[in-house]
Amino acid sequence: MTQTAAIFLSAYRELSARRLFWLALVINVLVVALFATLGINEQGISFLGWTFDSPFFNSNTTSPETFYKSLFVTLGVDWWLGLIATLLALVTTCGIIPDLVAPGSIDLLLAKPIGRARLFLTKYASGLLFAALQVSVFSLASFAAIGLRGGVWEWGLFLAVPIVTFFYSLLYCICALAGMLTKSSVASLILTLLAWTVIFSVNLSESIVVAGRIANTLETAAIERELVAGVTKDGSEPLDEEELETLRTDLQRAKDNRVDWDRAFFWFHGIKTFVPKTGDTLELLDRWLLASASMPTRDPDSERGPQRAFGPRRVKRGEYERALKDEERSRSIVWVLGTSAAFEAGILLLATVVFVRRDY
Amino acid sequence: MNNAVVGGALAVDVDGVRKTYGRRIRALQGVALHVAHGEIFGLLGPNGAGKSTLVKVLMTLVRADEARGSVLGQPVGSSAALESIGYLPEHHRFPPFLTGRQAVEFSGAMSKVDRPTRKRRAAELLERVGLGSWMDRKLGSYSKGMKQRAGLAAALVNDPRLVVLDEPTDGVDPVGRREIRDLLVEMRSEGRTVLLNSHLLSEVEGICDRVGILVQGRLAAQGTIEELTASSRRYEIVIAGDVPEWCGTDTRVERIPSGMLQSVGITGAATRLLFLGLDAHGAQPLLDRLRAEGRIVISVQTVRESLEDLFLRAVTDPSTGLILKPGAAR
Repeated sequence: MTQTAAIFLSAYRELSARRLFWLALVINVLVVALFATLGINEQGISFLGWTFDSPFFNSNTTSPETFYKSLFVTLGVDWWLGLIATLLALVTTCGIIPDLVAPGSIDLLLAKPIGRARLFLTKYASGLLFAALQVSVFSLASFAAIGLRGGVWEWGLFLAVPIVTFFYSLLYCICALAGMLTKSSVASLILTLLAWTVIFSVNLSESIVVAGRIANTLETAAIERELVAGVTKDGSEPLDEEELETLRTDLQRAKDNRVDWDRAFFWFHGIKTFVPKTGDTLELLDRWLLASASMPTRDPDSERGPQRAFGPRRVKRGEYERALKDEERSRSIVWVLGTSAAFEAGILLLATVVFVRRDY
Repeated sequence: MNNAVVGGALAVDVDGVRKTYGRRIRALQGVALHVAHGEIFGLLGPNGAGKSTLVKVLMTLVRADEARGSVLGQPVGSSAALESIGYLPEHHRFPPFLTGRQAVEFSGAMSKVDRPTRKRRAAELLERVGLGSWMDRKLGSYSKGMKQRAGLAAALVNDPRLVVLDEPTDGVDPVGRREIRDLLVEMRSEGRTVLLNSHLLSEVEGICDRVGILVQGRLAAQGTIEELTASSRRYEIVIAGDVPEWCGTDTRVERIPSGMLQSVGITGAATRLLFLGLDAHGAQPLLDRLRAEGRIVISVQTVRESLEDLFLRAVTDPSTGLILKPGAAR
């Protein structure tokens, strides 16, 4: 325990000696201060005394509580913590493992009565300290801002601390392995960013395939409903033979496409199972914080047609988006976190084996 | 002193240490190293001889292909032994963001020293190595010599029974070197064992009880300097005047036994005679003879090889008479 505490204390001292650490903390507070200056009233969104009219976002459609929680999740977590702060954290911590294995530095540690695996994993965990501290400060500031501005003291915001730290660890384990193999901060940072791009691409591709597959399902069901009803869309008059033939052709095409979507889903979902689910992990916060919130929804009758790539033509946009959200939220937390944790464990195992077996 | 590990008769008692890097570089070829408790042992050798690899094997930085024996009575690399060892590596790199005090305390914490003890010892040791007024400044602002002193303090924070020092005076000024040498002698008087890896022969010669010379991954010699240079002990007699006839080439004069006279040197009005394999008793007839001839004996002294001579002899290929190339055997 003494050794673990010493490594963490040393990691904190190392982080606090870096300007980027303090810069990131200041930006954290500024980001929260920025969305604390935003408000919501009956006309729309207010900002430093100005009001921007919005029929979609106003206090009649969205409660202040939901508005601020939504800001916290979408702007704060998804954009700030999930992207910019993560980049800053990677830049700050990418040198931790290369510094650990640098000649002259590793000698001082391995000559101590501590197991190599424990030393490596503790050092790795200390690297997560940056992310954990940043998210903690951000969550605390957001908690205060939402409490004061929205009138709600939402303890659930602190879920961001474990979730975002876990999200960061999915990338940092790659950084640690790369640092172990290359012994270079720059190389490990570049390799991590490359890996993140690949992970993002896999996740994005899978979500596109899922969206297409859902669209296909909804489209098929809509055509079948129209065929069974045998009337026009507005139900005023029966379909003629030409219209019926068009529907039958569309149905057949949709069913043919279904095979392709299923095959694509099989592959992309299969591949995604083995990579960390960075997006889905952050999405958990959205799921837990906003699931019960009264978020504004589009008028289900307002639009229909291909609003998104592969979107269904015969299904209302609201219905399609609800189906997508339902699919997103139906994903098992065990699958999201479990497979991601398994990936992280695999990468860490590899890095630990390299660290343990190497001569210094 | 940390008595967690009592150990056997020897502080370091290892045999058959082998290490090959890749398939070709044989860094250590069955080295046997025996260091007694409470002595200062100097490990010498040319560059690439395997000194650092041997030290790193003992400190678990390098995994030996084969290593039998013990360190402080525990298997090589065991955690229990490491708790009682203080180590200062060559070219060590303490985190520059730590102060001297923090670095020493960190070293203590990693050696499982409790908080009050490591705080107290950190302050004491930093004073002892002359960094009392610098202990709360960042290591990044230290000179190389100061870092070396801080490293020594860090190596001693766990009150070790065995101190392994790799080039401890590297980058230290002459005054600092003297202080470090004094510190090593103090360590010995405190009962600690010191394994000193250094290329400064004068430093080793001055303070080491025993030395080992590694050459191409093999221990070419191991013992006290006295033992290792015994075969080269000579008697030097300096007399006034010319070379005696019986030391010359005149075959009509009865000469001293062949091989006894190693060399004759003439400097100004004096002649220096070097006799091999003589002890004080054996020298008396020669002195009697010189006196009988009326020669003035200016001085008589025992001369032996310096550590440098011994070192050079160890690194010389006896078959060719040439100094072996530096580096490991391939």
